[in-house]
This record gives sequence, structure tokens and C-alpha cells, in this order.
Amino acid sequence: MSCAFPKEMLALHVEGDLSAARQEMTLSHLATCEDCSGFLEQLRARQTLLKSLRQETVAPSECLGMRREVMSIISKRLDTPGWIVRIERALMIAIRRPSYAVAAFGLLGVVSVSVLAQMRNITPDVKQSAAVFVEGGDTLLRPQGYRDWILVGEATKPHSSGSDEGTARAAPTPTGRVYINPSGYREYAKTGRFPEGTLMVWDSDNREHQAGDGPHGESPVLLASVKDSTRFEGGWGFFDFTGVDRSMTAKAQALPESSGCRTCHRRDAETDHVFTQFYPVLQTARRASQLAPQDTLSLLEVLDLSRPSRVQRPTLVAHI
Amino acid sequence: MELRPDGSLLVHAALSMSRVSENELSPEAAEITRLVRLTLGGDSTAFEPIIRRYETRVMTIAARLLGTRDDTCDVAQEVFLRAFKYLHRLDLQKPLEPWLIRITVNVCRDIGRRRQRQRNTFVEIEMPETIDESADHHAGLARKQERLILQRALDSLPEKERLAILLRDVEGLSTAEVASILQSSETTVRSQVSRGRLRLKSAIDSAMGGRS
Repeated sequence: MSCAFPKEMLALHVEGDLSAARQEMTLSHLATCEDCSGFLEQLRARQTLLKSLRQETVAPSECLGMRREVMSIISKRLDTPGWIVRIERALMIAIRRPSYAVAAFGLLGVVSVSVLAQMRNITPDVKQSAAVFVEGGDTLLRPQGYRDWILVGEATKPHSSGSDEGTARAAPTPTGRVYINPSGYREYAKTGRFPEGTLMVWDSDNREHQAGDGPHGESPVLLASVKDSTRFEGGWGFFDFTGVDRSMTAKAQALPESSGCRTCHRRDAETDHVFTQFYPVLQTARRASQLAPQDTLSLLEVLDLSRPSRVQRPTLVAHI
Repeated sequence: MELRPDGSLLVHAALSMSRVSENELSPEAAEITRLVRLTLGGDSTAFEPIIRRYETRVMTIAARLLGTRDDTCDVAQEVFLRAFKYLHRLDLQKPLEPWLIRITVNVCRDIGRRRQRQRNTFVEIEMPETIDESADHHAGLARKQERLILQRALDSLPEKERLAILLRDVEGLSTAEVASILQSSETTVRSQVSRGRLRLKSAIDSAMGGRS
């Protein structure tokens, strides 16, 4: 057959599958082309042979056993749908429109994602609670979000002097709150020891300048201590983020030995440079770590312990 | 109804995929809709007349698609159990049969994946009573030979073309219905059907030595 007319068009034309325009074009061509007319006749013959299969069907008697089996399974409820199908069925039967059901599932998904996102937001960000060192390793970036950490104590009055308490003998100590990062607290609550990476922050409540010669000197705004044995002698580094005009600096270098921080904390603090003796939260956690199996203290218990009581607010010296 | 080039009539009413309002449903379609509603309402016995109405069609299609008579009952059983399970997904404004055929195709595909499908398109389906081979022995032999050739020609087609040809030309579904069942576009189905018909003709011509 030498005609170049597309045979695919003839193959569709034979069963009326062409659009009206193509059908007309094909008919025009067939009127003048004997080759294509002959080819079309052969196609019709093959199609007729193919369609003769329509006469062959499965006998109804062969279906009886299958039908009984299906009804038996259904009546015995052996084909009970799972809970997903049940929910889907309830939704779709109620609404009668698959599109609405899909929209309902979509809405459910959006709500779930929103709830999960909210849960993420109220969870303390572990990354933010880690110490970040820059510039050669002795400069600490100001901790972020520390007010969401574990509050271990508040200082609202001057500490009493006395060598037995091991505090410095100075009068007014600025008021402030002391926080510990959650990972440090959890480990302390479990083992009674502060792990590497423990980060504590002393945050002043008093934004007014207040002269003083207490352990924290001239009204600092934000102090921090970090446990990192690889960086600091004695295991702890101390930082002061108080800037000019009591602003807060973005970073702070480790305070030198001459600042007296390390000396005081090493000498007078009860537990590894931390004045746990002044913080009931830490004392309770330590007792719990000694009494309970280490891995039974849940995070919820930890968080509960960390909340300050409204009835009995601790009135303690601000020491970290 | 549609008059086709070969002179045959194609009845679209029962198989129409277009949406129709319930008021426009034929008595049979309205009855099926009523049975579906009853079934969904918890009356599982209402599902039996639905099976009875479509069982022959489902089993015949399954036999052609699978190429074996052995699994036909199993396929039909699975089709109706799936239909019962997911009956709530059926759009009652559309006919039930194309939906059942789609499930049948899917079940056959699943079975085909599980075992190496025997590419026997023709099976020992009950022959129609109108064919009386004793009346003309030679004609009977010729018919058997034609069927054998047709069987081999169909088996030689690529799977997608074979499926499109079986649904469009043997089952008599419209291009739109085939596209919906195969979850494809009408253009794709037309292309598969067109190529399939040409391949089929070529294979039969070769087997018959040019005889028409």
C-alpha cells in the first residue's frame, strides 16, 4: 500500500472514534483512494472477528457459587472494614460527596499540623539552650530564650553575711532570677551532677543602676556561667553581658581569674561551682535523684519542680 | 444510541459515564441506586441482587483479562467484596457498572502481578447456542482456526494496548469509559486503541497469509 494517509486515522475511523472534522477529512480521502478503502475494509473484517468475542460469556450457573460465597462472607461479617474505612464511610455517607469528605480530611490534617506546630512552639528549644562560643572559643554568645528554661531561684533581698553560708560579705545584692538550661537540669536531676554544657543565667530584675560591692559588683544586667572542662580551668567559665549604660551585649568574653568569680564559686558553692544550697529547686531535684531510680523521673516531674510556687516564693541571694 | 460505521448500534444509556439526575435514571438504574442505598443503610441482603445483576459481566471480563478460567471466580469474589467494602465511595449519580469494571481491572492487575500471567486471552468460555458446528464441520474448523489466530494476535499486543482493545472493542465501552476505568486520558486511550487495531490487523494478516 503506497498511500501516505495516516493509517492510525483509518484505525480510529473504523469504529467512529474520530472527531467530526477528521472524520470528514478521512471520508473525503477514502472517496478518492482505493488503497485506503481496501485497507479500511480489511480493518472492518478484523474488527468484526474481534467483536465476535462479545457473544462468548460466562454461564450464569458458574456465578452461583461465587455469589453465595460473597454473601456468606458478608453475612458472617468476615469482611468487616477497618477503622479507617469506617471513618471514611461515616464521613462520606453523612456528606454524600467525596469532594466534601476529602475537604474534611484536609481540614483535619491542617488542624493536626497546627496543633503539632503549637506543641513544638511551647517546647523549649534545645538548640537555643546550648552555649555557643565564638572568636577563638572564649567568647560566649548571649543565650537566647533563657526565660523559657528552668527557673531555679529568685533573689529579692540582700543576702546575710556569714562565713558559714559562704557568701560574700556585701550589702545590697541586685535582685534577679537564675535559670538553668533544660538539658543541664535533667542530667542534674538524674545524677546529682552538672553535665558538660550546663548553662546558667543570672538575669537582673532591676534595670536601674545600683552601686554595690557584692559578689556581682556594680549592678550587672546579665551574667552566665558555662560548664566546659575543655575550655575553662576548674571546669566553669563566667561571663558578664552588661554593656554600656546597662545595655546587654550580644557576646561576652570569659571573665579573668582576677574577677574573683571562679574563686568565690569554687570556694563557697555547695555543688560544683553552683550555689545549690540557695535553690530549693535544685535541692529537691538532687534529693529525688538520690531516692528514685535515675530513669523514672519524667520530664513532666522535672518541669513541675521547676515552676516557682506562688505561695512560697524563694527569697534568696542571687548567685549562680 | 449511536449508529456506527460498521452498521452496528451502540447503546449508551446503561453505560453512560455522564452525570444524570436521579429523576432521569432508567427504572433499572433507579433500582440499583435503591439497592445501593439499602446496602449502605445496613441491609447487606440488598447487595445480593446487585451481584446477580453484574456477576456475569464481571466474570466474563475477568476471564478475558486474566486469560484463565481458574481464577475467574476468585476475581469476581474479590471484586464484589471490594465493592461492598467501598460502596460508600460510589457516586450514585454515575452508573455502577463502569465502577465495577474498574475494580475488576484492578483486581486482575493485582493477581497478574502476583503470578506470571498466562497470556491466554481466550478461554473456554461457554459457546453461544447459535453456533452449531455440526451443521458445517468445515466452517466450524475454520472458525476455531480464526479464533486461535485472533488469540495469538491479541496476546502479541503490548499490555496497555491489549487492555484498551479488550475494553473498547470487545466489551464495547466508549473511549471516555475506557479512559475512566484505566485512569488515563481519552487521547491516550485513542492512541492505544489505534495502534492496537493496526498491530492486531498486521498480526492476523501475517497468520492468515494475506487472506481477508
